[in-house]
Amino acid sequence: MSPEKGGNNQLEAKNRPAQKEPHRTADRLRIDWTTYGTTVVLVVGIIITAIFQPVFLTVSNIANVLSQIAVLGILTMAQTIVLISGGIDLSVGSNVALSGVTAGLLFLHGVPLWVDCFAALGCATAIGLINGLLVAQNRAHPFIITLGMLTLLEGIAELVTGGSPVNDMGALATILGGTIFFGIPTAVVLLFIIVVLTALFLARTPLGRTAYAIGGNEEASYLSGIPIKRTKVYIYTLAGVISGIAALTLSGILNAAEANIGTGLELQSIAAAVIGGTPLIGGRGGAWRSLQGVLLLGVVSNSLNLMSVGANYQNIALGVIVLIAVMVQKNR
Amino acid sequence: MLKVENVSKQFPGVRALRSVSLEVNPGRVHALVGENGAGKSTLVKIISGAQPPDSGRIIFNGQVFEEYSPSYASAYGISVVYQRQQLVPMLSVAENILLGAQPRRTRFLIDRSATYRIAGDLLNRLRVKVDLRKRVAELTPALQQEIAIAKALYRQAKLIILDEPTAALGPKQIERLFELIRDLCSHGISILYISHHLEEIFRLADRITILRDGRLVTTQSTSDLTQSAVVNLMAGHDPQRVAEPAAIPAGMAEANSEVPMEALVAEEALLEIRGLTAGPVLRNVSLSVPPGQVVGLTGILGSGTHDIAQVLFGLMQPVSGEVLLEGTPFTARSPQEAIAQGVFLVPENPARDGVVAQLSIAQNISLVDLPSITRFGLLQLREEAQTAQKYVSVLRIAAPSIMREVSKLSGGNQQKVLLAKALQARARVLILEEPTQGVDVNAKEEIHRIVRELAATGKAVLVISTDIRDLLLFTDRMIVLREGQIVDDLSAEEADYTQVLNLTLGVGESE
Repeated sequence: MSPEKGGNNQLEAKNRPAQKEPHRTADRLRIDWTTYGTTVVLVVGIIITAIFQPVFLTVSNIANVLSQIAVLGILTMAQTIVLISGGIDLSVGSNVALSGVTAGLLFLHGVPLWVDCFAALGCATAIGLINGLLVAQNRAHPFIITLGMLTLLEGIAELVTGGSPVNDMGALATILGGTIFFGIPTAVVLLFIIVVLTALFLARTPLGRTAYAIGGNEEASYLSGIPIKRTKVYIYTLAGVISGIAALTLSGILNAAEANIGTGLELQSIAAAVIGGTPLIGGRGGAWRSLQGVLLLGVVSNSLNLMSVGANYQNIALGVIVLIAVMVQKNR
Repeated sequence: MLKVENVSKQFPGVRALRSVSLEVNPGRVHALVGENGAGKSTLVKIISGAQPPDSGRIIFNGQVFEEYSPSYASAYGISVVYQRQQLVPMLSVAENILLGAQPRRTRFLIDRSATYRIAGDLLNRLRVKVDLRKRVAELTPALQQEIAIAKALYRQAKLIILDEPTAALGPKQIERLFELIRDLCSHGISILYISHHLEEIFRLADRITILRDGRLVTTQSTSDLTQSAVVNLMAGHDPQRVAEPAAIPAGMAEANSEVPMEALVAEEALLEIRGLTAGPVLRNVSLSVPPGQVVGLTGILGSGTHDIAQVLFGLMQPVSGEVLLEGTPFTARSPQEAIAQGVFLVPENPARDGVVAQLSIAQNISLVDLPSITRFGLLQLREEAQTAQKYVSVLRIAAPSIMREVSKLSGGNQQKVLLAKALQARARVLILEEPTQGVDVNAKEEIHRIVRELAATGKAVLVISTDIRDLLLFTDRMIVLREGQIVDDLSAEEADYTQVLNLTLGVGESE
């Protein structure tokens, strides 16, 4: 359809000039520090760490950092999409656990690996779909709905595994847990692909755009003719699919599946997204921004490791970073 | 008791109040009337301490106000009961009444039994029958209002300001409220009563203060005034002049003006509503709008104008009656369905319900029709930008770039973004609710011009507004609703402000 379609000759005939050009460059040059704050902190962090710990910039350490954040990064993309739409998904971690366990148990019982992988993805998708339906149909806040889901899924995972982990994922460990070329971990390549796809989804697809719209103003979106409920179902379902990919990646890296493997991942994914610049209130944010949050958490954690800082102190440092990031954003 | 002396207030671009004075006597009901924008709410805000005046002073019981804050005013005994209740829906009746000043057992513990005892006594005295433990959210609007009044009394209010208190009440509940008001007066409490319902004012008030364009017109005893005299004073006309145009029957005037009649005959109605009954007030409403016409729909709050928009945009389902679009039946269960059939609504508060503030101008416009810029599942951003650019220049949206976030635009420009959306939605029927509310004079004129031009392209435009003067400036016809029914349908040339105001208020024309 041509862009002229919406207009009309009467109006176009008048075609008065708009007073807009003069400010254009100024608008472009203005730097919004709340957008680039994380980037600056990330770059400064990398430089400082590299100065004090030259090991940091070695290829093997970089590969190490990236593969450590791969699963969280993928999961953060799921969380980012949901957050932009004005929702929240606390069940992504337990989704990873249950989906991973599904694949692991099937593999244990001799089902071919490719079937296991599809079963895990199917399980993850179904969980996302259920989340979406519950959120769309209920007035309860998605926080509490997905919190219930979290507990429920963890319970099921515990039940089916009987509490003991599956310690062999077969070829998955060598594929997703291994490297693909030039020693680059497969998980890192997968992370990159997922981030690119998420960015494309958010910026260039109608569903991605409506996610921003309903996250920004649900009433206005409804009055614009957007089917709110259907959009929410799609978004949570998509978050489920991405969680399934994260589940397979984690199972591959660990060569194991366990019921409590995803514990805490949901909060880390929210923290990473928020640090990166995808706020909790919806309507803003993006894949690359959230990835920066993931990278920042990864770099800080790695540099503290390199400096042999104890786990407790690491948590304190991470907590401080989350708080600073959130306070910077509040002053927008 | 309350003395307002030469109070003036100016907002950017508007002089809301110019040297207004009035005096409220103890134990009396004092009415405050004026059309929308006359300065009533500004005056109430100043009296209740929500805003300081630029000059002038408020004297209450001989005490000159030294500062303007709600807590200061309330400490002196001034309480406002607003249209929208300021109660906490999830707390109980008793808790709401005593909220913020609950009796305590110790410094940190609230005395619950005393709370319920005090609230119970108070409500008994007011003869309000309600379960003290009930959550306020479960109560009817009428009861909520009585609870708000009780709350004011608990705070030792000596002057209670009631802002459109009967807007949400039925006839029986209104009688009950009047009883309560008379009861309060007999105890020496004064009421400042703000309402559009002149009939109520003439039953209740001892004196009436009339404001127009931020100026005091007059304060007189109710017994010295008639309803039509009040309307004339509100409108700013000479009382003698008004009888003449009103004396001409509406039908005759319509027959005389040939041009609109011709338009009506020549073209089939684009939008036709037949016998529509919906919502709490709309009863058997029929109207039709031919293409190219701008029709104003006016009436006071609760007259049903808003409900017509709701039905046309799929937000309310009719009980009976039908809507026809170009002769074909139209039903919509959601805005999505309404838009698909060529109806678009620009809501009353664009910033709240119309635009997505975080999205850019271009993104807001395209939101209404994403499929048209989607190819192979991907949004064509260049097309989106071109479309937006076209609207920005045609509608003269003042913004440095189409990528500008809508949150950074003025109200008038946000309104234009919504008009662009309506165009992009290819709406045949356009409904605008209060389109010029809160926009400056220049933006108003531009919106008038755009609406006229839109109509000239063959669209049917329905403008729903309480601003009669504004409607008269750019509509072809005025349809007046009162209590859910059409009371008149007149051509804009023939319509006279006072006459329309009379019709909305239900004041007899032949007086």
